[in-house]
Amino acid sequence: MNTLTPLITLLIFPAGLTLILVGMFYEWVDRKLVARFQNRIGPRWFQPFADAVKLFAKEQITPAIVNPYLFFGLPVAALAGALTSALYVPLMGLTPASNFPGDLIVTIYLLSLPTMCVGLAGWNNSGRFSLIGATRTLTQLFAYEAPFLLALLGPALVAGSWQINTINRFTQDHWLILTQPVGFIVALIGLMGKLELPPFDAPEAETEIVAGALTEYSGRGLAMFKIGKSVELIVGLCLVASFYLGGLNGVPSFLFKTLILLLGMTMLQSLLTRLRIDQTVGLWWRFGAILVLAQLLVIILVKGFLP
Amino acid sequence: MNKNNEQFWKQIIKKVRTWARLNSIWAVHFNSGSCNGCDIEILATLTPRYDVERFGIKLEGSPRHADVLIVTGPVTRQARERLIRTYEQMPEPKFVISVGSCSISGGVFEGCYNVGGSVDEVIPVDVYIPGCPPRPEAIIDGIVQLLASLKGDEPRKMARPVNVEEIPA
Repeated sequence: MNTLTPLITLLIFPAGLTLILVGMFYEWVDRKLVARFQNRIGPRWFQPFADAVKLFAKEQITPAIVNPYLFFGLPVAALAGALTSALYVPLMGLTPASNFPGDLIVTIYLLSLPTMCVGLAGWNNSGRFSLIGATRTLTQLFAYEAPFLLALLGPALVAGSWQINTINRFTQDHWLILTQPVGFIVALIGLMGKLELPPFDAPEAETEIVAGALTEYSGRGLAMFKIGKSVELIVGLCLVASFYLGGLNGVPSFLFKTLILLLGMTMLQSLLTRLRIDQTVGLWWRFGAILVLAQLLVIILVKGFLP
Repeated sequence: MNKNNEQFWKQIIKKVRTWARLNSIWAVHFNSGSCNGCDIEILATLTPRYDVERFGIKLEGSPRHADVLIVTGPVTRQARERLIRTYEQMPEPKFVISVGSCSISGGVFEGCYNVGGSVDEVIPVDVYIPGCPPRPEAIIDGIVQLLASLKGDEPRKMARPVNVEEIPA
């Protein structure tokens, strides 16, 4: 069955349905851990799934002012970008479904596609809250994207390849968190910025700008953006875990590593308060980018002078 | 056979939909002229002490994301149109909970020069929670009653459409 295998790969496993369900599970773990840190009981295990089903069953209101093609197309593009990026990433400790030289760059661009779509959606709605949210989303994108890319560039330089599969084979017997701790921290916090989790949630700050760029979205569109975000969460976690925490060595230990990373992220989420958007940009460019660049310099020097 | 199958799937889809609606309630809070007593109690309901996220209840900022509109206070003349607009911005199916004595009858503000009256004179209300202010337990109980009314098989009365011009000021 030659035609069936790619279909299953795309729709059911590892991309598609399984990915969405596992993404929802990770979202639940995130919410539950945050709740436990706040001394609450927290949501039940099916909560993200119930939210998504409810949103899909709700009416979708199209504001009169929007361009309808963009309004309906952008959530689909966001979800498609997040799902496509999963093809090149070692999901749940399995080898990537597909690979080619240079797929690391493609994956990083596909991972930033949902954020671009959110920004465009906010601009398209042209409500005041949507516009401010979109501006903040895109400003934050410019803040964290370069340090995040540089942090993932470190392992690529050491392994001497732009192919995620090759880098994984290299990191399997080199725990890069020991030799590149700065890159690891920047990658993890960059992932939090990418997902707009609490210290970096100025783009969707409820107390200031209602719900940011997605203020006017209801029903299906909102659900697709939310699912896209949870898929992005799991893809990003898998990428960071496979690069810095000893590559792929079995499904259970890999899942354990990603959950440990998620635990760290939830701790930071409940410890830190929201940063202003200028503080976010300042943090990334004054500290994140400089530190990662210094580490890159060290890597290049070590690689150049040591055999 | 074919028709039976269709019926069967429709039943299943309906069940899943109702289940999801019962387990994921996003609320938006609107103060239509309250003295802030009820608002503080609503905020107390959302604190870790009562933790309504256990039941999937979440406070949302945007009425476009919400299923339930929680209204506190009598409807003042200024807030009336805003309340209607907020209600109309919410996607179907939508429900309204009116919290506190003032939102039910006008309360101590009844007859004030700037007060139009109770909430149900402006928008259709599903659940009334009396009290001045109602305790968080009472608010949670009101939400539970709303859920119980959704669970039934009989068709619920749909929220009637409201036209701003038709309502006397």
